[in-house]
Amino acid sequence: MIRIVKFLSSSLTIAEMEARKIRHDSTELWTRAVQPALWLLLFGEVFNRIKGITSSNISYITFIAPGVLAQSVLFVSIFYGITIVWERDVGLLTKLLSTPSPRSSIVVGKALAAGVRGIFQAIMIFGLTLIIGINLRLDPFDVISVFVVIVLFAMCFSSLSMTLASLLKTRERMMGIGQAITMPLFFASNAIYPLDLMPEWLRTISLFNPLSYVVDAMRSLLITGDYSGIPLDAVALVLSTLIFVSLASIMIRRLIE
Amino acid sequence: MYALQVKDLTKVYSSRIRAVDSISFNVESGEIFGLLGPNGAGKTTTIKMISTISRPTSGSILVFGVDAEKHPDKVRELIGYIPQSVSVDGDLTGYENLLIFSKLSYVSKKERDARIIFALEYMGLKERANELVKHYSGGMMRRLEIAQALVNRPKLLILDEPTIGLDPASKTKMWDYLKKMNREFGTTILLTTHDMAEADLLCHRIAIMNAGKIAAIGSPQELKMSVGVEMIKLCLDSSAIEKLVIPDELGKIIGYENSSVIISVENAEKKIPSIVEYLLKRGIKIESISFNKPTLNDVFLKYARVAFEEGESYSQARMTRRVFARRSR
Repeated sequence: MIRIVKFLSSSLTIAEMEARKIRHDSTELWTRAVQPALWLLLFGEVFNRIKGITSSNISYITFIAPGVLAQSVLFVSIFYGITIVWERDVGLLTKLLSTPSPRSSIVVGKALAAGVRGIFQAIMIFGLTLIIGINLRLDPFDVISVFVVIVLFAMCFSSLSMTLASLLKTRERMMGIGQAITMPLFFASNAIYPLDLMPEWLRTISLFNPLSYVVDAMRSLLITGDYSGIPLDAVALVLSTLIFVSLASIMIRRLIE
Repeated sequence: MYALQVKDLTKVYSSRIRAVDSISFNVESGEIFGLLGPNGAGKTTTIKMISTISRPTSGSILVFGVDAEKHPDKVRELIGYIPQSVSVDGDLTGYENLLIFSKLSYVSKKERDARIIFALEYMGLKERANELVKHYSGGMMRRLEIAQALVNRPKLLILDEPTIGLDPASKTKMWDYLKKMNREFGTTILLTTHDMAEADLLCHRIAIMNAGKIAAIGSPQELKMSVGVEMIKLCLDSSAIEKLVIPDELGKIIGYENSSVIISVENAEKKIPSIVEYLLKRGIKIESISFNKPTLNDVFLKYARVAFEEGESYSQARMTRRVFARRSR
């Protein structure tokens, strides 16, 4: 077998492992759906009554639906490092890294696994938007493109999380840093308000926030249908994913030494 | 051919602790080799380096001639590593554990299914193959780990404390499986333990480690001989003691004690009947017989005389606790 085939097969096997676990126990998927539901049903409904947050004819609750989706995937990914620390603690990670599979393929596989969880989140949220009557463009091309964005996004932030796990090494510290990262990322993005409303300094920061590009891409695909911004979003997302996946691949051995 | 050649292997941690201090040893292909030593002696660090999980500070490791530093990926194709803590995934079934790890070890699709079925049957796990592993007992989890090795067929199987926390029956079973694997598949086995009975029963050769160094190396028999001789103590009629002569092929009188004579022999169990026969023929009455032979415990205490608690580092104590916590869930 050539190298690249082996690499892909190992990565897909790790993702398969995750899918099988979800099949055995899907409780986590349901509990993780609670938070986005609250954002849409409570926060979204209330702020929907304030006019003028969004410029055009889009209702506020529709406007934040892609943002809430991105946020819930962000949560899954940013805490993914905790799973890795746990697997290290029980000896599973050591075992994975002592197989002939290249270490980077294990990291890519774990990142893909976070993507698998992200897709399940998306399906839950799409279901929810249908129930409360939010009008998203759910035609096959858009949905599949959103899935691709979600997988890349989950890979990006779960790799960041795995890198942090390699440095911090305990679950408690990971909980702390996860909390400390998610909220600034969320508020310094266009997830729940448009960039135009931000003060100048915050808008500058949000330009370096991968979440902004993810939300922008999802909003184009699911609401406006205006694809002109997508190439830039894609470049930003792919680039940051590559950086973090490479970083995690280099760092992961620190976790088991 | 050597399965493993370790030369001047050293690992220094950042705090300048020499966990492993310039050790060298060879393991022959087809051998069961044991690393013995108190907690904190450097056993786990050594096998972590051999498994390419941790990088040596200096020294070289050759696994079937392949340099572990230059080609860690090639070495990983030759070895199977079973860490101290249970390394099977509790959230998957027994079958899935075998399937996933065989895929990660690139076992060809053709052989995979047949090997998995064989391994499940061989390890007595067939009935519960489709149950989640978190419902298995500690012994079953260990058996599943051996089953993984049976599917992936490594040439060198490395086990860290394979029977720690197992009950005596599961322990004995595990020893049988390891011996069988060694015999039937020619798998070379490297294991660490601090269970003397385990080392004695299982290993062809052992190395005793202490404070990062190898204190002694050899077959269990050789090591036992090196710490002392086997002795028979005969309690006889006092009049007979003075003029007692023993032929050389039976043993050597090395001392007297009250109304007893102490004879040093090789292989006490076999010599006792001949000595009894010899004495009876000459009409000497024997009041009682006892014998004493050195055990691996004596060997261990001689070469690794270190306070057990002293040698145990915090992280290792934590690791051991984790193993138990997980098993008792």
